[in-house]
Amino acid sequence: MNKMPLESEDIKKIIPQRVPFLMIDRVIEASPEKVVAIKNVSTNEPFFKGHFPDEPIMPGALMIEAMAQAGLVLYRQKFPNDKLLFLVSVKARFFEPVIPGDQLRIEAAPIKLLSKMGLVRTEILVSGKKVAEAEIAVASRDAKA
Amino acid sequence: MTHNLEQEILGIVSTILEKKPEEMPLDAHLVRDAGASSMMALEILAALEKKYKIVIPEENLKDMTTINNIISMVEAAKKKR
Repeated sequence: MNKMPLESEDIKKIIPQRVPFLMIDRVIEASPEKVVAIKNVSTNEPFFKGHFPDEPIMPGALMIEAMAQAGLVLYRQKFPNDKLLFLVSVKARFFEPVIPGDQLRIEAAPIKLLSKMGLVRTEILVSGKKVAEAEIAVASRDAKA
Repeated sequence: MTHNLEQEILGIVSTILEKKPEEMPLDAHLVRDAGASSMMALEILAALEKKYKIVIPEENLKDMTTINNIISMVEAAKKKR
Protein backbone atom coordinates (compact mmCIF):
# COMPACT_ATOMS: atom_id res chain seq x y z
CA MET A 1 0.00 0.00 0.00
CA ASN A 2 1.28 3.43 -0.91
CA LYS A 3 1.79 6.08 1.71
CA MET A 4 -1.01 8.63 1.65
CA PRO A 5 -1.49 11.23 0.41
CA LEU A 6 0.08 10.82 -3.03
CA GLU A 7 1.38 14.13 -4.35
CA SER A 8 1.74 14.94 -8.03
CA GLU A 9 5.19 13.31 -8.37
CA ASP A 10 3.74 10.04 -7.04
CA ILE A 11 0.64 10.34 -9.22
CA LYS A 12 2.85 10.73 -12.30
CA LYS A 13 4.32 7.32 -11.56
CA ILE A 14 0.85 5.78 -11.70
CA ILE A 15 -0.81 7.54 -14.64
CA PRO A 16 0.71 8.98 -17.84
CA GLN A 17 -1.14 12.33 -17.98
CA ARG A 18 0.91 15.51 -17.48
CA VAL A 19 0.26 19.21 -16.96
CA PRO A 20 -1.80 20.82 -18.38
CA PHE A 21 -3.76 17.62 -18.70
CA LEU A 22 -3.17 16.17 -15.28
CA MET A 23 -6.54 16.73 -13.65
CA ILE A 24 -5.80 15.47 -10.15
CA ASP A 25 -3.47 17.19 -7.68
CA ARG A 26 -3.41 14.72 -4.86
CA VAL A 27 -4.68 11.26 -3.96
CA ILE A 28 -5.80 10.94 -0.34
CA GLU A 29 -7.12 7.39 -0.47
CA ALA A 30 -6.17 4.53 -2.78
CA SER A 31 -7.09 0.88 -2.65
CA PRO A 32 -8.55 -1.52 -5.24
CA GLU A 33 -11.94 -0.77 -3.64
CA LYS A 34 -11.85 3.02 -3.59
CA VAL A 35 -9.84 6.03 -4.72
CA VAL A 36 -10.33 9.58 -3.51
CA ALA A 37 -8.48 12.32 -5.40
CA ILE A 38 -8.38 16.08 -4.93
CA LYS A 39 -8.19 18.77 -7.58
CA ASN A 40 -8.00 22.41 -6.61
CA VAL A 41 -9.51 24.46 -9.38
CA SER A 42 -7.54 27.71 -9.55
CA THR A 43 -8.29 30.95 -11.36
CA ASN A 44 -5.20 30.32 -13.50
CA GLU A 45 -6.43 27.11 -15.13
CA PRO A 46 -5.65 27.50 -18.86
CA PHE A 47 -9.15 26.46 -19.90
CA PHE A 48 -10.85 29.33 -18.05
CA LYS A 49 -9.34 31.80 -20.51
CA GLY A 50 -11.75 30.62 -23.17
CA HIS A 51 -14.45 28.79 -21.18
CA PHE A 52 -15.82 31.37 -20.83
CA PRO A 53 -14.09 34.77 -21.10
CA ASP A 54 -16.61 36.50 -18.84
CA GLU A 55 -17.82 33.53 -16.84
CA PRO A 56 -15.21 30.91 -15.93
CA ILE A 57 -16.75 27.42 -15.76
CA MET A 58 -14.77 24.17 -15.80
CA PRO A 59 -15.65 22.27 -19.00
CA GLY A 60 -17.68 19.13 -18.35
CA ALA A 61 -15.32 17.26 -20.68
CA LEU A 62 -12.46 18.01 -18.29
CA MET A 63 -14.52 16.94 -15.30
CA ILE A 64 -14.92 13.63 -17.12
CA GLU A 65 -11.14 13.60 -17.63
CA ALA A 66 -10.63 14.14 -13.88
CA MET A 67 -13.02 11.27 -13.09
CA ALA A 68 -11.33 9.05 -15.69
CA GLN A 69 -7.89 9.79 -14.18
CA ALA A 70 -9.14 8.90 -10.70
CA GLY A 71 -10.57 5.74 -12.28
CA LEU A 72 -7.18 4.98 -13.79
CA VAL A 73 -5.51 5.34 -10.39
CA LEU A 74 -8.12 2.88 -9.09
CA TYR A 75 -7.43 0.44 -11.94
CA ARG A 76 -3.68 0.62 -11.28
CA GLN A 77 -4.24 -0.40 -7.65
CA LYS A 78 -5.35 -3.77 -8.94
CA PHE A 79 -3.32 -4.01 -12.14
CA PRO A 80 -0.19 -1.87 -11.63
CA ASN A 81 1.50 -2.97 -14.85
CA ASP A 82 -1.24 -2.95 -17.44
CA LYS A 83 -0.58 -0.94 -20.57
CA LEU A 84 -2.09 2.43 -21.44
CA LEU A 85 -5.85 2.31 -21.21
CA PHE A 86 -8.19 4.11 -23.53
CA LEU A 87 -11.64 5.49 -22.84
CA VAL A 88 -14.31 3.22 -24.21
CA SER A 89 -17.54 4.65 -22.88
CA VAL A 90 -18.77 7.38 -20.57
CA LYS A 91 -22.21 7.82 -19.09
CA ALA A 92 -22.14 11.12 -17.22
CA ARG A 93 -24.44 13.58 -15.54
CA PHE A 94 -23.63 17.07 -14.32
CA PHE A 95 -25.50 18.75 -11.50
CA GLU A 96 -23.68 22.00 -10.70
CA PRO A 97 -21.09 24.12 -12.54
CA VAL A 98 -17.51 24.10 -11.22
CA ILE A 99 -15.93 27.54 -10.85
CA PRO A 100 -12.50 28.91 -9.82
CA GLY A 101 -11.82 28.28 -6.13
CA ASP A 102 -13.73 25.01 -5.96
CA GLN A 103 -11.99 21.99 -4.51
CA LEU A 104 -13.02 18.81 -6.29
CA ARG A 105 -13.19 15.60 -4.34
CA ILE A 106 -13.14 12.91 -7.01
CA GLU A 107 -14.18 9.46 -5.87
CA ALA A 108 -13.85 6.27 -7.89
CA ALA A 109 -15.09 2.78 -7.06
CA PRO A 110 -14.96 -0.38 -9.16
CA ILE A 111 -17.98 -1.89 -10.87
CA LYS A 112 -15.72 -4.53 -12.42
CA LEU A 113 -11.98 -4.50 -13.00
CA LEU A 114 -10.52 -7.12 -15.31
CA SER A 115 -7.08 -7.36 -16.80
CA LYS A 116 -7.04 -5.08 -19.87
CA MET A 117 -10.41 -3.49 -19.12
CA GLY A 118 -12.42 -1.96 -16.37
CA LEU A 119 -15.73 -0.36 -15.55
CA VAL A 120 -15.76 2.21 -12.74
CA ARG A 121 -18.29 4.42 -11.01
CA THR A 122 -17.02 7.91 -10.26
CA GLU A 123 -18.32 11.15 -8.85
CA ILE A 124 -17.13 14.65 -8.05
CA LEU A 125 -18.10 16.43 -4.85
CA VAL A 126 -17.61 20.09 -3.98
CA SER A 127 -18.15 20.97 -0.31
CA GLY A 128 -19.88 17.63 0.21
CA LYS A 129 -22.31 18.19 -2.66
CA LYS A 130 -22.28 15.99 -5.75
CA VAL A 131 -21.62 18.07 -8.85
CA ALA A 132 -21.06 15.27 -11.38
CA GLU A 133 -21.16 11.52 -11.71
CA ALA A 134 -20.07 9.10 -14.40
CA GLU A 135 -19.79 5.46 -15.24
CA ILE A 136 -16.57 5.09 -17.18
CA ALA A 137 -15.22 2.13 -19.12
CA VAL A 138 -11.57 1.88 -20.12
CA ALA A 139 -9.70 -0.80 -22.03
CA SER A 140 -6.25 -1.39 -23.45
CA ARG A 141 -5.94 -1.35 -27.18
CA ASP A 142 -5.29 -5.06 -27.39
CA ALA A 143 -8.45 -6.02 -25.48
CA LYS A 144 -10.01 -8.18 -28.19
CA ALA A 145 -13.63 -7.96 -29.29
CA MET B 1 -38.58 -19.53 -12.73
CA THR B 2 -36.20 -20.60 -15.48
CA HIS B 3 -38.42 -18.87 -17.99
CA ASN B 4 -38.25 -15.70 -15.91
CA LEU B 5 -34.48 -15.92 -15.70
CA GLU B 6 -34.35 -16.36 -19.46
CA GLN B 7 -36.49 -13.28 -20.03
CA GLU B 8 -34.54 -11.22 -17.51
CA ILE B 9 -31.18 -12.10 -19.01
CA LEU B 10 -32.51 -11.54 -22.51
CA GLY B 11 -33.65 -8.10 -21.31
CA ILE B 12 -30.26 -7.24 -19.78
CA VAL B 13 -28.28 -8.38 -22.80
CA SER B 14 -30.53 -6.75 -25.39
CA THR B 15 -30.51 -3.43 -23.49
CA ILE B 16 -26.72 -3.35 -23.41
CA LEU B 17 -26.44 -4.35 -27.06
CA GLU B 18 -29.15 -1.81 -27.92
CA LYS B 19 -31.29 -4.42 -29.67
CA LYS B 20 -34.92 -5.42 -29.35
CA PRO B 21 -35.31 -8.63 -27.28
CA GLU B 22 -37.29 -10.23 -30.11
CA GLU B 23 -34.32 -9.70 -32.44
CA MET B 24 -32.10 -11.73 -30.17
CA PRO B 25 -32.27 -15.52 -30.64
CA LEU B 26 -31.04 -17.29 -27.51
CA ASP B 27 -28.46 -19.26 -29.46
CA ALA B 28 -27.17 -16.42 -31.65
CA HIS B 29 -23.45 -15.76 -31.30
CA LEU B 30 -23.24 -12.42 -29.51
CA VAL B 31 -20.03 -11.25 -31.14
CA ARG B 32 -20.48 -12.71 -34.61
CA ASP B 33 -24.25 -12.29 -35.02
CA ALA B 34 -25.22 -9.52 -32.64
CA GLY B 35 -22.21 -7.23 -32.94
CA ALA B 36 -21.16 -7.37 -29.28
CA SER B 37 -17.72 -6.11 -28.24
CA SER B 38 -15.58 -7.10 -25.29
CA MET B 39 -16.64 -3.96 -23.46
CA MET B 40 -20.28 -4.90 -23.91
CA ALA B 41 -19.42 -8.31 -22.49
CA LEU B 42 -17.91 -6.56 -19.49
CA GLU B 43 -21.05 -4.45 -19.07
CA ILE B 44 -23.22 -7.58 -19.29
CA LEU B 45 -21.05 -9.31 -16.72
CA ALA B 46 -21.23 -6.33 -14.34
CA ALA B 47 -25.01 -6.09 -14.75
CA LEU B 48 -25.48 -9.82 -14.04
CA GLU B 49 -23.26 -9.68 -10.95
CA LYS B 50 -25.26 -6.77 -9.59
CA LYS B 51 -28.68 -8.20 -10.38
CA TYR B 52 -28.08 -11.74 -9.12
CA LYS B 53 -25.49 -10.89 -6.45
CA ILE B 54 -23.07 -13.39 -7.90
CA VAL B 55 -19.38 -13.21 -8.77
CA ILE B 56 -18.41 -14.16 -12.29
CA PRO B 57 -14.69 -14.87 -12.70
CA GLU B 58 -12.81 -13.22 -15.54
CA GLU B 59 -12.16 -16.61 -17.22
CA ASN B 60 -15.88 -16.96 -17.84
CA LEU B 61 -15.94 -13.93 -20.10
CA LYS B 62 -14.83 -15.96 -23.12
CA ASP B 63 -17.67 -18.46 -22.59
CA MET B 64 -20.34 -15.78 -22.70
CA THR B 65 -20.89 -16.34 -26.41
CA THR B 66 -24.66 -16.83 -26.54
CA ILE B 67 -27.58 -15.90 -24.30
CA ASN B 68 -28.12 -19.61 -23.60
CA ASN B 69 -24.51 -19.89 -22.39
CA ILE B 70 -24.98 -16.85 -20.18
CA ILE B 71 -28.15 -18.34 -18.67
CA SER B 72 -26.36 -21.61 -17.81
CA MET B 73 -23.47 -19.65 -16.35
CA VAL B 74 -25.77 -17.56 -14.15
CA GLU B 75 -27.68 -20.67 -13.03
CA ALA B 76 -24.41 -22.36 -12.05
CA ALA B 77 -23.16 -19.25 -10.23
CA LYS B 78 -26.46 -18.91 -8.33
CA LYS B 79 -26.18 -22.50 -7.11
CA LYS B 80 -22.64 -21.87 -5.87
CA ARG B 81 -23.63 -18.71 -4.01
